[in-house]
Amino acid sequence: MQGASSGVGYGLKYQARCISDVKADTDHTSFITGTLSLREENEVHLIRLSSGGTELICEGLFSHPNEIWDLSSCPFDQRIFSTVFSTGESYGAAVWQIPELYGQLNSPQLEKIASLDAHSGKINCILWWPSGRNDKLISIDEENLFLWSLDCSKKAAQVQSKESAGMLHYLSGGAWDPHDVNAVAATCESSVQFWDLRTMNKTNSIDCTHVRNVDYDTKKKHILVTAEDESGIHVWDLRMPKVPIKELPGHAHWTWAISCNPEYDGLILSGGTDSTVNLWLASTSTGDGMTSESLVESPTQLVDPLLNSYSDYEDSVYGLAWSSREPWIFASLSYDGRVRHFKHLS
Amino acid sequence: MGVDDVPLDDKAKRMRDLLSSFYSPDPAMSSSNSSKFASLDAINTTSFDADQYMNLLVQKSNLEGLLQKHVEMAAEIKNLDTDLQMLVYENYNKFISATDTIKRMNNNIVGMEANMEQLLEKIMSVQSRSDGVNTSLFEKREHIEKLHRTRNLLRKVQFIYDLPARLGKCIKSEAYADAVRFYTGAMPIFKAYGDSSFQDCKRASEEAMGTVIKNLQGKLFSDAESIQARAEAAVLLKQLDFPVDSLKAKLFEKLEQSLEDLQLKTEEITNVLEDSSDPINLATTNDASIREFVEAIRAYRVIFPDSEKQLIKLSQDLIAKHFEITEQYIKEQISVAKFLGVLRIIWRDVLLMDEVLNEAFLPDYSLGAAQVVVKQYVANTFSHLLRDISDALTVNIHMKVEELPLQIALETSKNAVLKGSMDVLVDFRHFLDDNLGFLLKLRDSIVDWVQEGFQDFFMALDKQFLLLSGRNKSVSQEQGLTEGMMVDKVLAGLVLVLAQLSVFIEQTAIPKITEEIATSFSGGGVRSFENGPAFVPGEICRIFRSAGEKFLHHYITMRTQRVSVLLKKRFKAPNWVKHKEPREVHMFVDLFLQELEAIGAEVKQLLPEGGLRKHRRSESNGSTTSSRSNPLRDDRMTRTNTQRARSQLLETHLAKLFKQKVEIFTKTEFTQESVVTTIVKLCLKSLQEFVRLQTFNRSGFQQNQLDIQFLRSPLKETVEDEAAIDFLLDEVIKQEPDSRSFGLLLEVHQRFYFSLIYMKIVREGDLGLTSLSFMHSFLGRQEFKIFMASFDIFWQAMMDMCLLMEQVIVGTSERCLDPIPLEPPILDKLIQAKLAKKREQNAITS
Repeated sequence: MQGASSGVGYGLKYQARCISDVKADTDHTSFITGTLSLREENEVHLIRLSSGGTELICEGLFSHPNEIWDLSSCPFDQRIFSTVFSTGESYGAAVWQIPELYGQLNSPQLEKIASLDAHSGKINCILWWPSGRNDKLISIDEENLFLWSLDCSKKAAQVQSKESAGMLHYLSGGAWDPHDVNAVAATCESSVQFWDLRTMNKTNSIDCTHVRNVDYDTKKKHILVTAEDESGIHVWDLRMPKVPIKELPGHAHWTWAISCNPEYDGLILSGGTDSTVNLWLASTSTGDGMTSESLVESPTQLVDPLLNSYSDYEDSVYGLAWSSREPWIFASLSYDGRVRHFKHLS
Repeated sequence: MGVDDVPLDDKAKRMRDLLSSFYSPDPAMSSSNSSKFASLDAINTTSFDADQYMNLLVQKSNLEGLLQKHVEMAAEIKNLDTDLQMLVYENYNKFISATDTIKRMNNNIVGMEANMEQLLEKIMSVQSRSDGVNTSLFEKREHIEKLHRTRNLLRKVQFIYDLPARLGKCIKSEAYADAVRFYTGAMPIFKAYGDSSFQDCKRASEEAMGTVIKNLQGKLFSDAESIQARAEAAVLLKQLDFPVDSLKAKLFEKLEQSLEDLQLKTEEITNVLEDSSDPINLATTNDASIREFVEAIRAYRVIFPDSEKQLIKLSQDLIAKHFEITEQYIKEQISVAKFLGVLRIIWRDVLLMDEVLNEAFLPDYSLGAAQVVVKQYVANTFSHLLRDISDALTVNIHMKVEELPLQIALETSKNAVLKGSMDVLVDFRHFLDDNLGFLLKLRDSIVDWVQEGFQDFFMALDKQFLLLSGRNKSVSQEQGLTEGMMVDKVLAGLVLVLAQLSVFIEQTAIPKITEEIATSFSGGGVRSFENGPAFVPGEICRIFRSAGEKFLHHYITMRTQRVSVLLKKRFKAPNWVKHKEPREVHMFVDLFLQELEAIGAEVKQLLPEGGLRKHRRSESNGSTTSSRSNPLRDDRMTRTNTQRARSQLLETHLAKLFKQKVEIFTKTEFTQESVVTTIVKLCLKSLQEFVRLQTFNRSGFQQNQLDIQFLRSPLKETVEDEAAIDFLLDEVIKQEPDSRSFGLLLEVHQRFYFSLIYMKIVREGDLGLTSLSFMHSFLGRQEFKIFMASFDIFWQAMMDMCLLMEQVIVGTSERCLDPIPLEPPILDKLIQAKLAKKREQNAITS
């Protein structure tokens, strides 16, 4: 079960929180990451795994005006990505384009395609249309959910619709359902809410507190994985939102980030503030009849779901990304600015 | 036919054939044999044609042949002639002798006829005489026969007329057997003439018989009569065609009645048993009734020999009833002695009944029932034990009157587990030691049940613990977290109690129980061998070890969750970018410390003090540090805040000095220190994470600095105590390597004093790390490391915490737009103010 963990490292200059797989790059395994430094010049790094898989090469380094709190790559154009940034006092979100001839320029500047400037509060994240070319974009701030329509050629983004999460619901993040493009899961303090984008109405919710991160299973419909501060990782079946179908112990401290493998069903990656990355195998196929009680009652009968634990980190791990091109590779980013690639072979 | 006369044969044979054909009516019979000669010289056949023969012979033969033939034939003819002559002569002889014989017969037959006539005459006269005698005697004989018949009839009539009186006499003398015999004798007559001539007589004798029957019935039902007599009575009644079945039924009813009485008595016994502790006394009261019943059964069997089935059923019912009552009885918690008493009584009854009713296999039957009851008793005992333990756990915790509820709960539940299990074992040993019939037979099964019982009991206990801890209801619990703070607080303590109890079970209770089981409950083996022994202490230990760890972890999680909520509120609410100048230590610190105090109180009640063991580095599973800081950044920071950030810089250097990652997430041990430090560390880590999510202005940073600074001293207090420090300091002296020079030793002493100073500083709430850094600069790197290594024991935990706090401050400064720390005097002033306020509060509350 133990996968070989051969890690390749790459260091950012400053602290960093977010890393994203460049899905649109079909020729290379590349990731994009951005630094989080309040007082220094922030950078966006385009990292590529060398063809031998032994090195991480910096393909591009671009300066970014503010510290980056969220970053995600456009699923259809490898040169486009979005960031959420903060000046310390205020937040902003924008869609950027990497200049075409960036390799030849000395200090290439990012082109801002659009600024998503309808927000007032703290912006949490930007979600791209799950796959394929589409102009839809979602941004989530603490109180609202915005649906944008992005026009890359005109370099403009327009708010299509907006909905408030309601009083006393502070949104903290979200995920776009890859199986149902009209559904978005948004995390707030005490629950995970599900929104229908057509009506912009709340359709459903799961009660669970302190959710840090949420991810849909890309292979299986209705399966959602949540990472929670103290109580680890929960796997939910959205058809049965009362009780999680699976519980994983998570991390010694908080479980911060979670990511489902794009190819292999039930392979879950989690990053925690205990400076480890854990790889879990939580098969959800038999999970229908399995309630959390039975899990607790018969722990000895179950195979340890933890496949591997990567603990060679110096600080909390906030960023995780599976490579969609080579789904046995993932990148992790710890707060001290170290990017690590691992191959999990099993 | 002999071989010798073959040459003669042809001729002789032909001759014989010819002769015989002479006598025989059908010549073909013999000729068929010689048919083969027909073609050649079938001279003897009737179809012989001499001419043809002659022609054939002449044609075929030459002269010589013919001559030879001629000679042959001539000789043959001669022979035939002599043979014929012989034959004739012989026949003539026979004829002469026959004529002689006939002549003699004729002579002898002459006088016979006269004799025959004489004989006939005589026979005739004999016959006539005998006829005469017959006719003369016939009349008289008939008369005699008639007289004889009349006499017989008269005698019978006499008997019947006498019957009532005779019966009366029999009744008087109780000779019922005779009466019955007489009556049955007279029965046919009554049947034939009862309606006419003997009406009175019949009525009278029937009346008498009525009395007889009544008497017989009475006799049958009376217990006073001997069984023999009763049996006879039954037989007589049967002879009288009295409906015996109904009698049998009646008697059976009576038996049942007595059985019910008996059962009633048994119930009474159980009632009595509850009151009195002396089962032997009760045995006697029950004794009489069961004996009666046994006697009754015996009698019944003798009286109705074909009634075993019913009796078997009856007695089995009785035993079943017995066991039913027992089952009812053991539903309440009864002592094993009482239970054994009951079993003993039942067994005695069974044995008594078995004597009379051997065919019922009552011991086997009751063995089956006893098996069920004993098994149930074992199961009940364990469920009582389980309930006792959970009661001990819950009741004590909810009793808030007690000063140390958790400790009491732990002690009582420990006691309940160990003493309860031991008592159970002792009780079950009574079963084994007892020489009672069933128990001997059930011995192996009991051993198995007890082992199985323990196995199941501990499994159930584990489940019960889980239930109590609420861990398997995590969802509902999370929901209840905010509204049910009070409940949770109690629950958290309970979880810790459970954790400690699990450890206790694993380390103390199980070995003891295993030992006990090994000494007195080994064997068994009714279970199949593939399943192995029923009680697997290894498995139980493993379960409880993991349960203990789980509960401890759960406790820590519950506690840290509460702190997390607190911290979250603290860091989410204010706008840190627009924070105002720090005026005093923020309230959340008090709340946090309160939480820690509560935890400390709980932990002190339950967990042992940690020995001064080495901090286990190898078992860490996580690490964090910000010591790998960018030198550039540090330098720049130093440049900007040279003086103000002096202490901070020193501390950062200190952290670098240690180079190893701070190991927050070490394996938690079951000691006060370990649990508290783990919780504190986790909370500080959470604090760091919350800080990292915010952006601060200078004042916000300073506020945090102040809060953390204030947190420092009390936090340290939670992990240190004076005695331990003194001990450690002694150790420092001892452990110094002697290879070092004298001068160095002196230095060690110096260091020792410095550390003492440091401790004082720490306790008084000063900047401990600053002075430590000072020491570092004084001592030099290598020595300082040695010094630190000897402090490793308690120091590590503290260092971790200090570093974590440092990291919080570093984290805050990283997230600060303008990280200028508070001036130490101001910091000091604010902290002193807070301390003073706190003291004031303490004075008021105490």
